[in-house]
Amino acid sequence: MYQALLVLRFLTTRIMPIIAVLAVALCVTLVIVVVSVMTGFLEMLRDSGKRLVGDVIIHVPTVGMPYYRDLIADIEQLPEAEAASPLIETLGLIKMPYGPQGKGSIEGVQVWAVEPESLSRVLDFQKLLYWRAPSTEEAERMAADDPRRDPAYDYQAEAMAMSRSNSPLPGAILGIEISPFNHRQRDGSYRTHSHFAGQQDRAHWMPQYEVSLTLVPVTETGSLDAQRHAQLAIVNEFQTGVFQIDSQRVMLPLEYAQSLLGLNETKRISETIFDANGKPKVLGVAPARVTTILIKAKKGVTPDALLVAVKEVYKRFSQLKAEDPEATLMPAGVEILTWEQRMRDLIGPVEKERGLMQVLFSLVYIVCAGLVLAIFWSIVHEKTRDIGVLRSVGASRTGILTIFLAYGLAIGVVGSSVGLGLAWLVINRINEIHSIMGEPAPLWLWVTVFALAGCAVIGAVISTLRDSALFTLLWIVGAVLLTGTGVLLMNHHGFLIWDPSVYYFSRIPNHLDLTNALMTMGFAIVFSVIGAAVPAARAADTDPVRSLRYE
Amino acid sequence: MSSTTPILRAEALSKTYRMGRVSVPVLREASIAVERGEWVAVVGLSGSGKSTLLHLLGGLDRPDRVDRTTRPDGTQPGRIFFESTEVSRLNAAGLNRYRARSVGFVFQFYHLLPELTVLENAMLPAMTGRSPFAWLAAGEIRSRAKSLLERFGLGHRLTHRPNELSGGERQRTAIARALVNGPKVLLADEPTGNLDAKTGGGILDVIRELHDEGLTILMVTHDSSIASMADRTVRIHDGRIVGDEPVATDSAAASA
Repeated sequence: MYQALLVLRFLTTRIMPIIAVLAVALCVTLVIVVVSVMTGFLEMLRDSGKRLVGDVIIHVPTVGMPYYRDLIADIEQLPEAEAASPLIETLGLIKMPYGPQGKGSIEGVQVWAVEPESLSRVLDFQKLLYWRAPSTEEAERMAADDPRRDPAYDYQAEAMAMSRSNSPLPGAILGIEISPFNHRQRDGSYRTHSHFAGQQDRAHWMPQYEVSLTLVPVTETGSLDAQRHAQLAIVNEFQTGVFQIDSQRVMLPLEYAQSLLGLNETKRISETIFDANGKPKVLGVAPARVTTILIKAKKGVTPDALLVAVKEVYKRFSQLKAEDPEATLMPAGVEILTWEQRMRDLIGPVEKERGLMQVLFSLVYIVCAGLVLAIFWSIVHEKTRDIGVLRSVGASRTGILTIFLAYGLAIGVVGSSVGLGLAWLVINRINEIHSIMGEPAPLWLWVTVFALAGCAVIGAVISTLRDSALFTLLWIVGAVLLTGTGVLLMNHHGFLIWDPSVYYFSRIPNHLDLTNALMTMGFAIVFSVIGAAVPAARAADTDPVRSLRYE
Repeated sequence: MSSTTPILRAEALSKTYRMGRVSVPVLREASIAVERGEWVAVVGLSGSGKSTLLHLLGGLDRPDRVDRTTRPDGTQPGRIFFESTEVSRLNAAGLNRYRARSVGFVFQFYHLLPELTVLENAMLPAMTGRSPFAWLAAGEIRSRAKSLLERFGLGHRLTHRPNELSGGERQRTAIARALVNGPKVLLADEPTGNLDAKTGGGILDVIRELHDEGLTILMVTHDSSIASMADRTVRIHDGRIVGDEPVATDSAAASA
């Protein structure tokens, strides 16, 4: 019981344990903040990944699958499935409507031919659309020649119809990052402007332009067919938050793409048999195809459960078609995946990065243990005589060992609790802290810092006159640090670590990962005790007579 | 002196310290016997080995291992007895218990723990060696420590820290600490060595009072005027006992 009393008193009456507690607290805060932000980033990425492809994907690259309407109808009968939507994924080249010297630049893109009506039942399609009608006030603030000024213009309806009211062309929706003149701002919004050499800075709002798209159909045997060109009217742009998608994907209407790529319903004609009119005999109908079906699970159904059900449906459906002599066979090379398996290439690297961060920052624990060890070594050194006194009044070696281990434990517990609190404060305000760091330092701040540095210099002079080496030193150190801070602040024009134009999430994840935080605390406590153990054992081994003589 | 069993007895104790590569013999076959209720002063120059003798008797240190062949007078070198217990044969736990219960130490430099209050310092020996669950007994320990401190005139200082006390007050706190477990022997190492004459006199008054109540006292001092207050003076020189004589009763009365 005297151990508890002594630990309590050691903690509250000395400066050293406060330093140890602070050291542990800072280590814990650092690890919790870093891992929480990384976990939050990963969660955001996973979340957007899921939002982008639904829960389960049926994918038949290039050749596509026939009878997709029937298959979708079957899938939508499943108790696990909410909705399904067909689409075609392929690659293409896009020629932008403008570019340097007025020539359009050409970009390689990933094409998604979609059916907005069914797609919006699987994904938050409408939420992805970037341009919305401005409110009346917003419209008033826009420049007179801004094409977005008209609040009556219905962006959503045009996107759903995939056609622009002022153009007969089929519509296209571009990823927001495809146009090089969409500039992402710090607040996450986009500014559309360009300046070419010799030209005036002007707005380049994409939904007023047309683009030309070149597609190269691939035949069932894998050979390339003649390339197809399409002129498309841009109806809107979309933003998923994932750079790889926003910078590469173009959406166009499904049926139009089917006809372009030769995946539409066609009559199968004979090359050798002709009818009475001399025309080739129609042998049957080749059904329309899509490469992909996206499926959304009902609420409470896991993607894995849905995957099993969908696989079963596909198997039955294929068997049925195989038994029908008239029907085309369902392709064998089908991939049925959950969204997580499909987005592996996107999520995998970030998961690895988080793991790496965790390992790297775990080194902080060792630093923490080292600090506690060094501090405890000095505490034990300082307490040598008291250890002798305790032994002289009957305290056992185990008793002494217990004191210092409990002391380490207490420092670990208090330090990591303080660290958790600090981490919570930092994470909650991380976006505010970040935006303050992103701003140039205000004038009053660095002027005040310089004024304080001046005061420190005066303090140093006074201390010199009073012959106090310690205070002179402290004032000089203060003056140097303050001057340095002042110079830094004066030259600080703001820096963003989490630059939204790089990370594509406008806010830093600010969710404290509690499981992780508790694990971090546990580790910090364990390492504090480990750090305290060596000096504690040394204390226990101290010979009482020698420590009493120790003055 | 030899009619009853001495409360504390040491037989030909030797102690050698190693200072780097040299062995320094501090005690050479020192024997001593203290009777129940006796006040013995151990006198000698500094470095004569008197503190070491006290540490060995108090179980703070162990004597050298020597040839334990029984001598013609029936003694064995290196043996220490407290009543009928052979202290020199106690294990670590036994020694801890011996230090906590059977003897009480008072040091020249008080050796109070600076973080604890006067009351907590005095309670300390009663708290060691108990399981953490014995805190139920804290009330009883507290009242014992408190009454001792009040007896030594420290009733108004209970919640003060040692650095807020005068030297005399610190030493009285140390004496209260030494007595809290009701030991049979008080071992005092130059208890007035760090105090001025007047304050030291106050401490000696306390010790005399305890002696009058029947407490056995073994006190180390280099001051022969203080030694003259004891019943008996043992002289030590260069680690050997060189003299052992009772103090003349009139000198004790004169200095009172």
